[in-house]
Amino acid sequence: MGSVTDIQLRTLYRTLLVFATVGVVILAIGLIQFAYFERPGQASGVKANIVGVYKYDPAAGQTTGPDRAEYARNEEFAAVVDWSSIPSNLTVDARWYDSFGSIEGEVGPGTPAGLTNDKVVPVQVPPGYHFVLPGRYTFVVERLQDGVPVEVLGRRFVLVDRT
Amino acid sequence: MITSTHPPAADPESKLRPSRYGIALAVSALVIVALIASSILNYVFLDTVPGRTSLYGLLAVALITLGTFILVRAYNRDRATRRVHLIRAAVLIGIGVLLWLLVIDVFLYTQSAGPGVAAVCALACLPTTAFGLWVVRRMDRNHKEPWRLVLVAAAWGAIVATSLVVWGETVWESSAQHTLVPGPGLDTSLAFMAGILEELAKGLAVLLLFLVMRNEFDDVVDGIVYGAAVGLGFNFLESISYMTNLYSIFSPEGFGGVAAGIQWYGRQVLGLFFGHATYTAYIGAGVGIARQLPSMRMKVMAIGAGFIIAIAGHFSWDAWATFFPIQNTLFGLVEIHLRTLIMTGPFTAGLIALLLFGIRYEGQNLLDQMQKEAATGQGAILPQEVPILASPWQRLRQRLQALNRAGPSGYLRVSRLQTAQLDLAMERWHRERKEIDTPLEAEQQLREKVIQLRHWVAA
Repeated sequence: MGSVTDIQLRTLYRTLLVFATVGVVILAIGLIQFAYFERPGQASGVKANIVGVYKYDPAAGQTTGPDRAEYARNEEFAAVVDWSSIPSNLTVDARWYDSFGSIEGEVGPGTPAGLTNDKVVPVQVPPGYHFVLPGRYTFVVERLQDGVPVEVLGRRFVLVDRT
Repeated sequence: MITSTHPPAADPESKLRPSRYGIALAVSALVIVALIASSILNYVFLDTVPGRTSLYGLLAVALITLGTFILVRAYNRDRATRRVHLIRAAVLIGIGVLLWLLVIDVFLYTQSAGPGVAAVCALACLPTTAFGLWVVRRMDRNHKEPWRLVLVAAAWGAIVATSLVVWGETVWESSAQHTLVPGPGLDTSLAFMAGILEELAKGLAVLLLFLVMRNEFDDVVDGIVYGAAVGLGFNFLESISYMTNLYSIFSPEGFGGVAAGIQWYGRQVLGLFFGHATYTAYIGAGVGIARQLPSMRMKVMAIGAGFIIAIAGHFSWDAWATFFPIQNTLFGLVEIHLRTLIMTGPFTAGLIALLLFGIRYEGQNLLDQMQKEAATGQGAILPQEVPILASPWQRLRQRLQALNRAGPSGYLRVSRLQTAQLDLAMERWHRERKEIDTPLEAEQQLREKVIQLRHWVAA
C-alpha cells in the first residue's frame, strides 16, 4: 500500500485497531470484575438446608400449606431455612431476588446461631405495589467474606405466575 | 493533471468469488441448522403456545411448499424462463422462512401480553425504526445503498438474529443462575452473554451481506450503514419484547402502559442510535475496512477488531449502566439521558469519526475516478459534471432543477443518471484496486447504461 488513498485506508485500519484495544481493556476489566465477585477457590463444601418455600401469611407471620415451586401473583410466600445445618463459624445471610435482580427480602448477615429466630424469610411486596411482581424468583443462602457474598450454600427457584 | 486511463481488468486469477460463496454457504448452513435446532428446543422446552404457533405457521409452510415446487419444476424449463421461475421460488421460500421466524418470534417474545398489545407496541416502534433506517441510509452521502439490501439487513436483525440468540441466551442464563452468586458477578456474566451472543448473531448478517453482495458492499461507509441497519432491526424486535413483557408485569398494578412507554422512549428514542445500531455498525466498519485491505491477515484483524469493539460496547452498557446513579426525583430524567450519553456516547462518537473519515476517503476516490472517466471522453461522465457529482448538495440542486423543469419524472430521471454515474466511478475505483471479480465488460455495460440514461434525460 503506497498511494495517498492507501494511507487513508491504513489510517482507518489503525484507528479501528486502537478502538479494538480499548475494547479489549473494557472486556479485561469485566473479567476482573467477574473474578472479584465470583472468587475462585471459595467452595467450602457446606450445604444449607432450605426446608421449603411455603405460602405466607404476613399478618400472622406464619407459613402454611405444602412446599411449592409456583405461586399465583396474589399469593405471598416465604422460604424456611434450617440454620442449624450451617457451621457456626460462618457469616451468612439469606436473600430473595426477583427476575430483575432486585433484592425483595433478606435476613442477615450474621452467624447461623444469631439467625435462628429468622428461619422464615418472606418475599416482600415492593412498597406501593399490591402484589409481588411476576417472574422467576431466586432464594439463596450465601456465605460472606469481608461483607461480600462469595458462595451460595443453598438455592431455590420459585415461579410467580402473571395471572 | 488528469490523464486518460483504462483501468486494468480484474485479476483473472482471482479465486475470491468461489471461496466467498463457499464461506457464505457454510455460514448459511450453520445458521439454518442453528435455527432449526433452536426452534425444536424452544418448542420442547420453552414454548407454551405450540398450537397457535403451528396454526399461524401453516401459511409459512404453504409458501415454502409452493416455492419448493416451483424450484423443482424450474429445472425442467428452458434456459430463458428458468431464471424467472428460480427467482419466484426464491422469493416464496424467502417469505415463508421469514414468516415462520416471525411467528416463532412473536409468540416467544410477546405471548404474555397478547397479540393486541404486541401489535400496538410494534406500531409504536415502526415509525422510529423507519426513521432510524432512513437516517442511516442517508449517512452514505456519496453512494447510497439500495433500499432492498438495507431492509434485508434490518429484517435479519429483527428476525434471524433474535431467533439465533434465544436458545443460547436461555442456556447461558439458566446455567449462570444455577451456579453463580447473585449480584454483580452474575450480572457481569449476563452482560458478557448479551455482548457476545447478540453481537455474533447480528454480525453474521453483515458478514453474509459482504460475502454474497460484495458489489453492493464497497467500503467502511457501506459497512457502517449495513451494520447499523441490522442493529436497528434487532432493536425493533427487542423493544417490542421488552415493552410487552413490562406491560404484562405492571398492568395489574395499573401502570402497564407507562412501563411500556418508558421502554419505548429508552429504546426507540434515546437508544435508537446509542445502542444496537452503534455496536453492530462497528462490526460493519470492520468488514467494510477489511473489504479493501490487501492481505488476509489484515482482513481478519479488521473483522475481529469490529467484533471486539461491538462486544465491548454492548458489554459495558449491560454491565455498568446500573452503576450510574439515577435519583428518584425529577433530576433523574436528566440523569437517564446523561447515562446514555456518557456510557454509549464515546462509542457512537468513535463510530461517527470513522464514518466521517470514510465518507471523505470515499468521496476523494470517487472524485478521482470521475475525473479519470471524464478524461477518457467516452461521454459517460462529462468534465463539467464532475464537480456536481462530487457534491451531494449540488447533486440535490441539479435534481431540484429537473423537478422544476419536468416535474417528478424529471427528478427521478436525473436521480437515476447520477446514481449510474456514481456506480461507474465506484466500479472503476474497485477495479483499479483489484478489489472486484466482475469482468471488464461489466464496466462497459455500466458506461453504456449511463449514456442511455443521459439520452433519456435529454429527451
